[in-house]
Amino acid sequence: MKQRWTAPALVAAVGLTLALSACGGDAKSGSGDAAEKNALTVWLMNGSVPDKVVQSVNADLAKQHPGATVTVEVQEWNGIQDKLTTALAGNNPPDVIEMGNTQNAKFSQSGALLDLDADKAKLGIDQWSKGMASSGVWDGKTYGAPLLAANRVVIYRTDLFEKAGVTVPKTFDEWVAATTKLNQANAATKDFQGIYLPGQSWYVYAGLLWDAGGDLAVKDGDSWKGGLDTPAAAEAIGKYKQLQSLSKAPKDADEATPQQFEVFAEGNVAQMIGLPWEMGSAVGANKKLDGKVAVFPIPSSSADKSGSVFLGGSNLGISAGSDSPKLAADWLALMTGEKYQTELALASNVVPNRTALLSKLTDPTAKIMAGAAANGHVTPVDPRWAGVEAGANPVKDYMTAVLTGTDPAAAGTKASAEITKRMSGAL
Amino acid sequence: MRASRRARGIQSAIALVLAALWAFPVYWMAVTAIKPRSDVVSRTPVFIPHSPTLEHLRTAIEAPGFWHFARNSLVLTIGAVVIALLIALASAWASTRYFFKGRKAFLITIMAAQLAPWEAMLIPIFIVYRDTGGLDVLLALIPLYMVMVLPFTVWTMRGFIAAVPVELEEAALVDGCSRGQAFRRIVFPLLAPGVMATSLFGFITIWNEFVFVNALMQSEPNATLPLWISAFQTVFGTDWGATMAASSLFTLPVILLFAILQRRAVGGLAAGAVKG
Amino acid sequence: MGWPLVNNVLLSLRKVTLRELISRDVVWVGFDNYRTILADPAFWDAVVRSVLFTAACAATTMVVGVLMALLLVRLPRFPKLVLSISLVLAWATPVLAATTVFQWLFDTDFGVVNWLLARVGLDTEGHSWFSTGRSTFLVAGLLVVWQAVPLVVFSISAALATVPPELDEAAVIDGATASQRWWTITFPLVRPMIGVLAFLQVIWDFKAFTQVYAMRRGGPDSSTTTLPILIYQEGLARSQFGLAAAASVVTVAILLVLLALYVRSAVRAEEVR
Repeated sequence: MKQRWTAPALVAAVGLTLALSACGGDAKSGSGDAAEKNALTVWLMNGSVPDKVVQSVNADLAKQHPGATVTVEVQEWNGIQDKLTTALAGNNPPDVIEMGNTQNAKFSQSGALLDLDADKAKLGIDQWSKGMASSGVWDGKTYGAPLLAANRVVIYRTDLFEKAGVTVPKTFDEWVAATTKLNQANAATKDFQGIYLPGQSWYVYAGLLWDAGGDLAVKDGDSWKGGLDTPAAAEAIGKYKQLQSLSKAPKDADEATPQQFEVFAEGNVAQMIGLPWEMGSAVGANKKLDGKVAVFPIPSSSADKSGSVFLGGSNLGISAGSDSPKLAADWLALMTGEKYQTELALASNVVPNRTALLSKLTDPTAKIMAGAAANGHVTPVDPRWAGVEAGANPVKDYMTAVLTGTDPAAAGTKASAEITKRMSGAL
Repeated sequence: MRASRRARGIQSAIALVLAALWAFPVYWMAVTAIKPRSDVVSRTPVFIPHSPTLEHLRTAIEAPGFWHFARNSLVLTIGAVVIALLIALASAWASTRYFFKGRKAFLITIMAAQLAPWEAMLIPIFIVYRDTGGLDVLLALIPLYMVMVLPFTVWTMRGFIAAVPVELEEAALVDGCSRGQAFRRIVFPLLAPGVMATSLFGFITIWNEFVFVNALMQSEPNATLPLWISAFQTVFGTDWGATMAASSLFTLPVILLFAILQRRAVGGLAAGAVKG
Repeated sequence: MGWPLVNNVLLSLRKVTLRELISRDVVWVGFDNYRTILADPAFWDAVVRSVLFTAACAATTMVVGVLMALLLVRLPRFPKLVLSISLVLAWATPVLAATTVFQWLFDTDFGVVNWLLARVGLDTEGHSWFSTGRSTFLVAGLLVVWQAVPLVVFSISAALATVPPELDEAAVIDGATASQRWWTITFPLVRPMIGVLAFLQVIWDFKAFTQVYAMRRGGPDSSTTTLPILIYQEGLARSQFGLAAAASVVTVAILLVLLALYVRSAVRAEEVR
């Protein structure tokens, strides 16, 4: 039974597909043109600013601009890169976006954001703390306003410190000595660790590197050069190795696999280097630790200042396609201004964007963290840095290599070459 | 053919071991969803939680928008799967039973569509949506999803239709059935297992789709359940208990669908066999 | 259907970063993107890794899947149901949950796998599954196979259901062995289905990103950087969309080469029908 036949079924099939595709084209989103003069769409990340604070900001804005409405949409971290990319390149981008501070450079460089310097006075750009503000600057212009930041501190068990007769260390050498003493005092406890420090906790390494005067990559004209083949890098990895040898944590994993607070919560770990909220998570997982945990700043080689830290956090920007940029700038000025920075810092125990506000913090942990933030740094401000972190991170490979016996100079040369390569190419 | 009782016993034992292997990771997901926080990471694995908690499940269900997202997911998934199945049945039938101009081109196009790295083509697809105004229009995802599952559906259905002896259909025609009736009454029941396999495939693929709905649907009212699953990752780390609870709930509709299809498929087969 | 594909090819000939995507400027660069990709030694390493990983995963999936399908159709009702449900569960598990659970299971200090192997008397305490590329690939491969097998089992067992039992019974009476019956009766009938599934497995495994990336992001030392991970690292993460488009065109070309034989025989089979 073989027939020649112009299959109606097939025609129907193709026709239906086309009809449906066309249907996508005809339909116009009803809510699409919401952003008129007096309406604002703001994208905030899940968990960043508490509802209460956002509502007060919106109410204040409505006082300045009667009738102004603000639609706040909470975004998830998973897939946010794609989502921001398509939203900003779409026909109707949100007016204000929150972005991770390490992502800011990409959006600044690509013309996705408005230059904020026109509103310099209103935003109080000069008052922003240097470390936090630097991630929002590209080519001398400001595109991102720092919203909040957090940095690592040493989270420790006060009871175990007391039992071993150890006090909070002021310098790196004291820190190593204290950790050694903790290990000795608890040698009988199975699985005890004076410190939990996995081999690839690379933000901790970056802090040591900045302390030693080095950096992950160094700008060289229009391109970048990896910075792990320097004497500073070797000195930093030497310190890291010294500290890591006092831990039983795997040398080829980072602090997230498994999440270090879970290990800490088991109860046999005296210290970990983490973000302050990890303290709360650890206590949440093991109520017995309640009241026995505190923090101290990561020590540096000298007792009069704390160690350098990576400032993780997020910035706010106004999209270039916004159709109410003035309103957006006013919202931004409120959210990143003194009043609400204080409220946010108090509510979430994060580092506010002005050094002057640090004294207003009440939570002891937040105070210690914010104090250390004065010595805060960010990863190289360039869209191409994302290529270094996206794949197999050469910094992590470098760390594992040295910790498992490779010569730091050889490992550093290799890692530096990889960083240079990943950051090469035109923008 | 009756296998000996002993052989049957061995077969069943192997099957149960395999079932355990395949189910274990799923069990681990589900059990994490009811474990208290302290048991999630532990040196001695906690296989059966001593004090199970519903806290994570509650967190998951009470997340804002859950029911709305569920509705969106269902609309998209069912819409795309049903359309894909109808098109696949029609075109598979046409292309196995008849020779027509462009048949080869049709088959090659279907294959090429399967080769296309859809996820890597987010940007070109985004541009198509941007140019046609499809951004943030929920139903505009249906054609895309349908195209994603169509090739497998067509190829599989072709295999099944090819396996149905043409004589069976012809006999029906001789008995006075129309072509449509012959297809519905004789061919379709024999295709039931194929329909089951392909619709399950379509359902799972679309039900889980994250990349496109995330990037092409910008406003919250157009979100689907895969976005909800990742809602428990925040600035302050991931709530794995809630994530696993959400993931467990997320698989339930698939199990339900499987149960329904299983019954139908078995029924369909029996009916087909009787008539054959 | 062809529109995005055409778009993709056009993008591959342009410089497209976030800047061009937003401004909608069109900057033609000819074959520059292709030159950049093909000149990178890391690209060829990634291709070799991808091909080997794909071959291993697809072959394992097909063999395990076919064997399990043959088992499934012979099972009595209860074990059949149990096995089917386990498979559906594995298949339906969202990738985010599946990758996380596998990472937990294979964790160095807290993983169930190390704990179990230690019970059986192996010295696996503190063994790291992610210290070498091969071992990392093994875990990622297990995850891929675990989630891919159910589709194969259900499709093949569906196809097996269309094999008339009379044929098999007649062969048994003729004294044919199990393997003779498989090769002469069953296999030819389910062969098209096996072909389609193998074809798809190759495509899907070659494109597998999440499962491999989740383990060590292509590490340690880039030793599990497969082609999709390289594309992500060099293209998408740095917003080099033109480069990524060229890479996906190259991916399709590689797949076409890998699958040329199958496509040819499938199209030829159509001609002789």
